Amino acid sequence: MNDTQLPIWEVFHQEKRGAPHVHVGAVHASDEEMALRMAKEQFARRLECVSLWVVREEHVVRTNYDDPFFFARNTDKRYREVHGFPAPLKGKHSE
Amino acid sequence: MNKEQALQSYLLALADDELILGHRDAEWTGHAPLIEEDIAFSNIAQDEIGHAQSWLRVYESLTGTDPDTVAFLRDHNEFTCCHLVQMPKGDWAYTIVRQFFFDAAEIVRLGYLKQSVYDPIREIAVKIYPEEQYHLLHTQGNVERLGDATEESHRRMQRAVDEAFGQALGLFESIPGEDVLADENIVPDSKTIENEWLQFVVPVLKRSGLRSPVDETNGSGGTDVKSWYGGRQKEHTGHLKQIVTDMQQVYRMIPGAKW
Repeated sequence: MNDTQLPIWEVFHQEKRGAPHVHVGAVHASDEEMALRMAKEQFARRLECVSLWVVREEHVVRTNYDDPFFFARNTDKRYREVHGFPAPLKGKHSE
Repeated sequence: MNKEQALQSYLLALADDELILGHRDAEWTGHAPLIEEDIAFSNIAQDEIGHAQSWLRVYESLTGTDPDTVAFLRDHNEFTCCHLVQMPKGDWAYTIVRQFFFDAAEIVRLGYLKQSVYDPIREIAVKIYPEEQYHLLHTQGNVERLGDATEESHRRMQRAVDEAFGQALGLFESIPGEDVLADENIVPDSKTIENEWLQFVVPVLKRSGLRSPVDETNGSGGTDVKSWYGGRQKEHTGHLKQIVTDMQQVYRMIPGAKW
């Protein structure tokens, strides 16, 4: 069997100007123009939208889930986390 | 026919084309060859039905009859849609070609209706024009790609063009009373729309590797293609009864029910 699937395009959606483009999913399409049209149909129908990006799936450079060291956090890194610092008592200055 | 009757006749013809095509498009929901196109055609179907509703609201303002009553309680032989929109959905190529022909006609017609001296028609035309622009972008994109993508896609698209072309010319059958409205610059003359439509679609088909039954230089005057007329005179194909019965079935069980 020949593979008759069209190429996959990752879709990034922007809700308003200046906001980040957020990855929302992917579409199949024959080329970039059709990919934008399909992305509009799938992801801009109910969501507010001012801009879409589409990127061929194979053009996304990605890390490998199986690399054992890349994201390793084997030592205590809590000092880097915001919740390492006690927050002031809630409501203390509110009145 | 006086101006008021002519307006009612024209609004019903516009609404019936949109309403029936919208329901034919909706027959692809769950069946289209790509999930993306499945959703796209469902969106387009809803848009067309929304356009029908807009025209029927103007009709309501003239007659007092609400859109649901007009859509769901009229017998099929009271509809004035053209034959193109009532044909079964056929294969995917037929659906794409039919929708392309329809969208191209809408763009030409709405271009004139945006200039109508009759406010309610002009206001709706301005509102729905961008949606039809988008539909045309979508369907024209599919025609241009499928027209010469593979041997099979070309063969099926060519068959669809041969089948749908004469049916599409039925979009431009004169609507009863339109001469009264055209004289007052409320609507364009159907022949004018047809000529502009031919000048637009024939070159697009050519670029897509598809033969038209007419060439762009001889226009409608020189064509031997039979135009499928009759729809505007309430003479229909057998397919209209089936789609209207399907469409009205639930409503007629409990007319006036609130959902």
